[in-house]
This record gives sequence, C-alpha cells and structure tokens, in this order.
Amino acid sequence: MTCLPADIQTQLAAAAPGGVEYSSTTTPHGTVTGWCGLANSEDLLAVGKMLLQLGARLAMVSALQPPVPEEEEDESDEGASDAAKPEKEVPKTFGGTAIDGKAYEIDYHFLLGGDFLTVIAYVPAGGSIPSLTPLFRAADWPEREIMENYSLVIRDHPDPRRLFLDPSIDAAVLERLIPFSTLVNAASTKALWDKVLAAKGGAS
Amino acid sequence: MTAIDAAKTYTIPVGPLHVALEEPMYFHVDIEGETVREVDIRAGHVHRGVEYLTTKRSIYQNVVLTERICALCSNSHPETYVMACEQIAGLEIPERAAYLRVVAAEIKRIASHLFNVGILAHLTGYDTLFMYAMQVREIMQDVKETLFGNRMDIGAMCIGGVRYDLDAEMKAYLLAALDKLAPEVEALADTYRRNHTILRRSRGVGLLTKEQAIACATVGPVARACGLEYDVRVDAPYAAYDRLKVNVPTLVDGDVWSRAMIRVTEIGASIQLLRDCLRDLPDGPTRLPDRPDIPAGRAMGKCEAPRGELIYFLKTNGADQPERVKWRVPSFPNWDALRFMLRGAKIADIAIIVNSIDPCVSCTER
Repeated sequence: MTCLPADIQTQLAAAAPGGVEYSSTTTPHGTVTGWCGLANSEDLLAVGKMLLQLGARLAMVSALQPPVPEEEEDESDEGASDAAKPEKEVPKTFGGTAIDGKAYEIDYHFLLGGDFLTVIAYVPAGGSIPSLTPLFRAADWPEREIMENYSLVIRDHPDPRRLFLDPSIDAAVLERLIPFSTLVNAASTKALWDKVLAAKGGAS
Repeated sequence: MTAIDAAKTYTIPVGPLHVALEEPMYFHVDIEGETVREVDIRAGHVHRGVEYLTTKRSIYQNVVLTERICALCSNSHPETYVMACEQIAGLEIPERAAYLRVVAAEIKRIASHLFNVGILAHLTGYDTLFMYAMQVREIMQDVKETLFGNRMDIGAMCIGGVRYDLDAEMKAYLLAALDKLAPEVEALADTYRRNHTILRRSRGVGLLTKEQAIACATVGPVARACGLEYDVRVDAPYAAYDRLKVNVPTLVDGDVWSRAMIRVTEIGASIQLLRDCLRDLPDGPTRLPDRPDIPAGRAMGKCEAPRGELIYFLKTNGADQPERVKWRVPSFPNWDALRFMLRGAKIADIAIIVNSIDPCVSCTER
C-alpha cells in the first residue's frame, strides 16, 4: 500500500531541470523510502512546490558535512605513494559538489502518507540554499536549527533567529572542534584545577 | 492607571521555570486584558548536544544513548534507531522479537498517557483525580519493573531483536496486571467523559482546526484530536503491527478535552493490543544470534511513540561511528500548533493548553 505516486521519479525530474538521482527501498512491511538527490540545489523550491501540491508533509530536515571518503589502501611502499599524492582527485557528488569535508548535505525528509521521500541537496562551503519555510511552515524550526549549528546560509528565512542556542554562543558549533574538557567545563580532567590555580595567580 | 490603559496590550513571561510546567520552556505572551493575543516560544534551556554525541559513540553504544534522550518515550528512541540500523544492514528480526517490541512499546504508551491525563487533572485543580490516575499508572510502573527490571529506561531494544523475554510466569503476571488495569482505566475514562470540573476547563479550550494541524505538520494525539487520521502503526506498520488490529481513535473538535480523550481511549486500545500480543506470541529466538555488522548506507526509521510519529535518519559509512544520526520527535512540530491554540485563550488556561500537547522538552531540544 504505497502512497508515493508510481511516476514520482518522472515528476521529480520534471520539477528539477538540473537533474535528479532517484532510488528507493521497500521494507518487508511494504513501506517505501525514496531518495532523490538534486544536481542543482537551486531546484529545491520547485521540487518543494511540486511536493506541496502532492500533499506531502515536511517531517524533518537534516544537515551534515559528509567527511572525505577514506582512500583505498595503496599497495606500493610509502615512498612511491608520496609521489602519487598530488594527483589524487577530490571525490564529488553526482551534481559535482566536491566532498571535501566542508561541503554540506541537506536532507529534506518528506512524508506522503506513510512513505518517506528524502530530497537531498548539496551545497559547497560558503554557499547558500533557499528557505522552504515560505512553502512549508514546518521548515521554520529545523532551518533555524541548521543555521545555528552550521555556517550554511539559508536565504529568505522569515525569522532567522537562534532556536536553541543563546545568541552569545559562537556560531557554527558543529563545525568547530571543542575540546572535551572545555565542553564539560573540565569536570573530568585536571583542567578545572589548573584554571582555579591560574586565577589565584599561579600559587600552588 | 486609567481604564483605557487596562485595555492595552501587555507582555508577560510564562516560564522558563513555572509551577505548571514540568520542564523548562519560555513563552513570551502578549495579552490584552485576560486574553492571549500572540505567543512566542523560546526554547533551548535543556539543550544537551546529544545529536553531536551520537556521532562520537559507536553504532551499538547509541542504542543505549538514544534511550536516555527522553524518559516517558525512552523505549521509542532506541526502537526507531535500531529499525534504521536493521534497514541499512537488511536484517529481518525474528517473529517473537517483533511481538515483544510491540509489548514493550504499548506498556510504555499506557504509562505515558496515564501520566499526561493525570497532569491535566492536577492543572484543573482536581488533585484527587490526579492522585487516582497516578495510582492507576503505578500498576504499569510495577509491570515495567517486574518485566524489565527498571521503571523508566527499560533497555528492551537491541539491533536484531529485543533484550528480554517473557516466560509463562511473566505472561501470567502481565495478563493479571492488565485485568487489574482495565476496569480502573474504564472508570478513569468515564470520569474524564462526564466530570464537570474536567469538562468546564477543557471543552472548547485550546482549539486547533484540521487545517492548522496540517499546516503545522502536527502528529500523534494532537493531530488525531482534530480529525487527522494518521498513526504510524497503521499507515506504515512495523514490528508486528501489520498482524495486529490497531484501534486508532479520532475526534474532530480539536480542544484540550478531545486530546485527553484520545489518550484515554488509546490506553484501552493498548491494553487490547497487549492481550492480542500475548495470545499470538510465537515461539523462537528473541534476537539474531550474532551482533550484526552495519555497512555503509542511509535509512529512515519511524514509529508511533506515545506523543506521535518519531522519525530517525541514520547515515553510516562503514566506520564504527555513524556519520549522522538525526531524529525528529513528535513534540517538535507540535510546539508550533500551540501558537494557534493559545491565541484567544485565557491566561488561566495557558498551562492546561500547553500540557494538552503532552510536550517533551528534553526530546525537543536534545
């Protein structure tokens, strides 16, 4: 009892002139999960409009920075692999965004009845993506959460305030390495003790 | 102050720490006289960064970690997370495990719903009914302690099945507990249906229309109380729900009372589901023999938590740690619906309306 239209792939391709990469899986219970990669992230609004007309519900938005895929082990010795290094290519998504560990993958998880359709957009570091909030009210909080976690720019968001984090906290927390001792205020190392001593003027 | 001043709009804070709220949430409320005009919700007081933490734990450790995101729906989190893991690895869990997952989920649902309707009585000032609901809930708390060894975090789920089993003695105990619970729940439902104190404080209060519910993408009892017939157990069955008859109550009025009645009715439906499960429980293993490897891939999982649809997105790349785990709890979209419900409400009803979405702040903020 799938709720995704049979021609969803055609409809998606028609809405996204940049091209789509579609695949789907079905659980043993018959629930379909569709995945639709967008070659051009600017096609997002058109795809969103099409899905809105189909009666889709925007359930969740996930953002991540895919790490650089690990290289396959080189069989030659170390000296030779050093020489070969400058020639290696940065892996890319099918739309041509380099997976350099800094690019963003934004997954828009829609629901049609009980079936998932995830629209995947890739944005290079420093890039931006249009907001879906004018189309889907439910995109408001998820997009605000992404804006406070990453330095990704979401254009035309009607209310781009912080959601969970206080404005005094530095931007893009998920893009920075925060030492564990700083994170927990040194609750599990001697760093807190060092801080106390430093505040006292170094007296032991 | 003149009489004209009194008609002006004022802004009052409700929360973040408020006697009527169980958890911290800050409502910035514009009022005119006694009537709420506009509400701004400011979240983040219990933001803990669990989503970041999941990428630092191994795929197997996250079964334990996700259970600690929330207390009342603690079982739903690992349940959905392991479903996503199993999809990536292409695993099918044993039949007995599928039924045992339903048993664990429905026990948690009964306890969660009884807590919420109990708090409604407390907020209306009817503390006798509150105590009574909590006393009835104690039956389920005892069941959890007996079956799982714990009263809140029951640790029932694992990748490839469940971590507990029911022998004949436990089955008999659970059935006896349900027999004790059923008439109490019926009496409770009758009180919520007819008691004047409850009706006067909850009928026609905190209205949400079906159109607003769709716009906010609300889920769970909040959506079903205004006519949206959506329940993951029926619309996208998982575990053993495709072989069980799930009764999904819906109402059309969209007020506080309807949401409470949906929950009370669902308790009865859950009792029936538990009895059906115990009747049909097949023999066999409760989990796959080996700890499965989770290859690279991505998957979506969803289940019907007590508060509604819970969604997990999991992306793995073959490493020990997942690349990304993201979840959307049912409370997350339901907060938005509060802005419609509170518009035009009386100040004295704010707490009752907030409680009627059964909000979970620790779930929302992670």
